[in-house]
Amino acid sequence: MREIRSGLAFAAVALALAALADPSVASGLAAALGAQPKPAVPAERLLDLAARHAALALASVAVATFIGVTLGIAATRSAGVALRPLVDTLAAALQAVPPVVVVALAFPALGFGAAPTVLALVFYCVMPVLRGTVAAIEAAPADVKEAARAMGFTRWQLIREVEVPLALPLVSQAVRIALVLAVATAAVGALAGAATLGTPIITGLQNQNELHILQGAAATAALAFLSEAVWLLGVGLLAREPVEV
Amino acid sequence: MASVPSALAAGSGSDRLPVVPARAVALGLRIVLAGIALAGLYGGGWLSVAPNRLLPGEALPATAAFGLWTHAAAAALLAYLALAAREDSPEPARSLQFALLAGLLVALAVLTGLAAGRLLAGQPPSARCMVGSGFWTAAGATALLLLYEGRALRPARIAWIAAGAVAALALARRAGAFEALSIMVEYRARADLFHAALLRHLALSGAALALALLVSVPLGWAAFRRPRLRGAVEAVLNGVQVVPAVALFGLLVSLLSLALAAWPSLRALGLAAIGPTPAVVAVAAYLMLPLTRAIAMGLRAVDPALIEAARGMGMGERRIAFEVRLPLGLPVFVAGLRVAAVQAVGLTTLGGLVGAGGLGAVVFEGMAQFASDLIILGSAPIIALALLADLCLRTIELRLARPLS
Repeated sequence: MREIRSGLAFAAVALALAALADPSVASGLAAALGAQPKPAVPAERLLDLAARHAALALASVAVATFIGVTLGIAATRSAGVALRPLVDTLAAALQAVPPVVVVALAFPALGFGAAPTVLALVFYCVMPVLRGTVAAIEAAPADVKEAARAMGFTRWQLIREVEVPLALPLVSQAVRIALVLAVATAAVGALAGAATLGTPIITGLQNQNELHILQGAAATAALAFLSEAVWLLGVGLLAREPVEV
Repeated sequence: MASVPSALAAGSGSDRLPVVPARAVALGLRIVLAGIALAGLYGGGWLSVAPNRLLPGEALPATAAFGLWTHAAAAALLAYLALAAREDSPEPARSLQFALLAGLLVALAVLTGLAAGRLLAGQPPSARCMVGSGFWTAAGATALLLLYEGRALRPARIAWIAAGAVAALALARRAGAFEALSIMVEYRARADLFHAALLRHLALSGAALALALLVSVPLGWAAFRRPRLRGAVEAVLNGVQVVPAVALFGLLVSLLSLALAAWPSLRALGLAAIGPTPAVVAVAAYLMLPLTRAIAMGLRAVDPALIEAARGMGMGERRIAFEVRLPLGLPVFVAGLRVAAVQAVGLTTLGGLVGAGGLGAVVFEGMAQFASDLIILGSAPIIALALLADLCLRTIELRLARPLS
């Protein structure tokens, strides 16, 4: 199965990066390359930051998925076609705004802490989910919907029992993209004072401690690969047959 | 979405069950957005006067800032709604709606600037007049309405109206209408630094794009020629995309500094752990996936029958590549270039973190000082540059794709 194989590969990369983030391994590498010894981030602190980082990303993706799927279903109703041009234009425009700019612009309004990051993450992750949902519902064969209507399905039943199950594989792809985006963007949140794995990178850059930068960067990358691995393995194990892309 | 046959889309649209008509939804959307704009106009703090650039100011509503003009702006919004509510609006009416909204945005900006000048008259020079949440709400909702109305207009019409609005704003700026706003004060205080940062940003993005192209063109070609290699190239470049940008910038700084400590002779090549080197390399690393993919896809996009015909004419693989695949794949290449250029402008922002300068440095300085004007001064041109790059390359892309379809 393709998902399981790539999932295991991602997990292996995540493990290697996590090992690189370990204080003794990172210090050893720096010493081997002849750098001056500097204090490293303790492993407990990294694990704590990783947990906060993951919680921030997961919570934001959950909110973004709810908003994106709801809006996606609304935009594919026959009355919702009026919303489509606005959604499409907005999606194209929002793709051009880098997440770090969203964090920066939300910062004066929302203050120091996790709030600007959550806003930026939700803001950024809604679009892929929304687009994925719209594409998935539109890709469902029209005759299946026609048959369901002919069988006397109500509109609500049509959504719940036909359109959503058919759209699920594509929507879950979109949620995966959103999750990877969220894990990556949460690191930027450290600039606005959110405690994430970006924090050691930022403090390392400010204090010129390459060890902190290395540890933070390796741990952030490890978490990103891990989230991809967990998703792929989950899909591979849950679905008997591979999800069509 | 583009791959969905239009017949299917039409099928899902023709719902036979009794439903809310699309017209009602469209009108509802306009009423909601216009309502938000009105709420910003009457409800939020429009301008605030602060004793200096860091202290929060005292917020004033729009009615206090420019009096009766507030109601004129509200009347313009209501007039727009009345126009939009008509059953079948012909092209001139739709243009009028669009122009009305564009005019409203310009008028709000000019009125706000003039009001700031009046509020600051007689205040000490350290006093600042900042636009508040009410302005951003009203302007944002109006901008969304503009986007919405723009969908049904011909691009030439939009370009004319937009050019008119920009000319009006430039004229008002010439006349000094915006000089009292805190963001303009901030701009004047560091105009040289700002221009240098803007140029630096463009140079860094351009260098990263050039570096990425230098690697991606042979890589894309190789991936096209050897399908086996394609899987490996895609896997590695996909892996790079998973690495968070902040992490890659940081990783490059620490790895470069470790490498420079181990081999000091590298410094002679002009490499440094802090500065443009890590920024350009990191940004280029992210651009390689869209570029390589577009090159491999563009080369493969040509109709196999055309390739057969070229072979039949006795053309070799190399000539086919240069004379058939390259010109016909051009729209796909430009699409990849567009994605890469937009990403380059955005990602270069993080260069400010590693001492590369650019507009990101302005944004991060603003964050460090908690100075929202400085943040906006750095962010606005980043967004504008990204949108501009997208617009320009999209136009080229559409023009190139036209004779094919």
